[in-house]
Amino acid sequence: MEKFKRGGGFLAFFVAGAIPNPEGAEFAAALAKQRFRSIEDAASEETSSGWVSPGDPTGGSFAHEDMVVGDAVWLRLRIDKKVLPGKWLAIHRAEAERSVGRALNQRERRELKTDLLEKLLPRVLPSVNLVDALWFPARKVTLLMNTAQAVAETFARLFAQSFAARLEPVDPYLWAQQLPLDGEHKRRLDEVSPVPWPRLERRAGPRQRGGSRAEPAPVAQEGGAS
Amino acid sequence: MKRTDAASHAFLGEEFLTWLWFRLETEGGEFDLGKGKVLGVVLDDFLAFAPSEQDETEQILRKGLPTRSAEAAAALRGGRRLRRAKLLLAVGERQWSVVVDGPTLGLRSVRLPEDSEEAETPQDRNLERVQHFLEVHDLVGALYHRFLQQRLRPDYLKTTAESQAQWMSDPNRL
Repeated sequence: MEKFKRGGGFLAFFVAGAIPNPEGAEFAAALAKQRFRSIEDAASEETSSGWVSPGDPTGGSFAHEDMVVGDAVWLRLRIDKKVLPGKWLAIHRAEAERSVGRALNQRERRELKTDLLEKLLPRVLPSVNLVDALWFPARKVTLLMNTAQAVAETFARLFAQSFAARLEPVDPYLWAQQLPLDGEHKRRLDEVSPVPWPRLERRAGPRQRGGSRAEPAPVAQEGGAS
Repeated sequence: MKRTDAASHAFLGEEFLTWLWFRLETEGGEFDLGKGKVLGVVLDDFLAFAPSEQDETEQILRKGLPTRSAEAAAALRGGRRLRRAKLLLAVGERQWSVVVDGPTLGLRSVRLPEDSEEAETPQDRNLERVQHFLEVHDLVGALYHRFLQQRLRPDYLKTTAESQAQWMSDPNRL
């Protein structure tokens, strides 16, 4: 069994919507529908993303015993990316320019790249990125073990396509709304504005002139504060 | 007017981190979470201050004791909020290390407690680690809740904010 990692950053999401029981066939079928599909033999630059399970990095099986860890479901997103290495392109371009004795023009450079993509890409292996996520159904919380914005967007899109559920990224406003604050506090959440903390020049002025410190300036009233 | 986009309340996460520092220095780093659970919090060796104005630079302090540095004191006196901070969180014997990003409240560079001796099988270890990830999310949530209970009081600006303003500008704070 694969070990879950002991460190790293994560982004939290609140889950809105209904998701099938993770131990049922419907859940596995939803993942399989959006399973990862290989681009190993692709002859064009592309990216492929889809679900795999911690026990099967190909996306061929979604056994619940591989994914259910106590109260959590261990999801795994695989993102493969196939690109022509820039250095190969530079090498072939230098070779072509040497053989014609001049710099290639824009059209020739484009044609060279198209030719190289066709010839070399089937031989290029894609980069593989496996990204774990923990979904806690009872808490309606998901932790994505990656903090990159692009990965978060791919994950949220795939999640929505698979389960007809929406992932809402946690931020100071949304988290505040989910916490057990009383109604008055939650209403004030829409009114708060940044506290205008004292600036050095305002506070230190009298001291610089006369050697005694000024009393702190009263802070401004917030909209609607009483 | 309702402001529900994430960016509009990003400042609240920065105020939370700055308040946490104030709270640690003025009342200590222990938080009673109820049911006999006490959370200990320490600000560790990484602080990043948000620029006061958009055209100012972010200031990052690493290593040693950045909270005791003259640069940190100057940043506070200048009214800068903490944008990111590395926290050590402890509950009983277990300790987490985490960098909290104020504007998003995302948790970065998380380090979980050591695997316990009771976790003998890979399944046990995974179960423990998964729970520890959720727990650090909950612990930060509990601290944020404490902050909001004060921040959203009608008299906040005249009470806690005013005390914090004095703390921020105190030249004897170091």
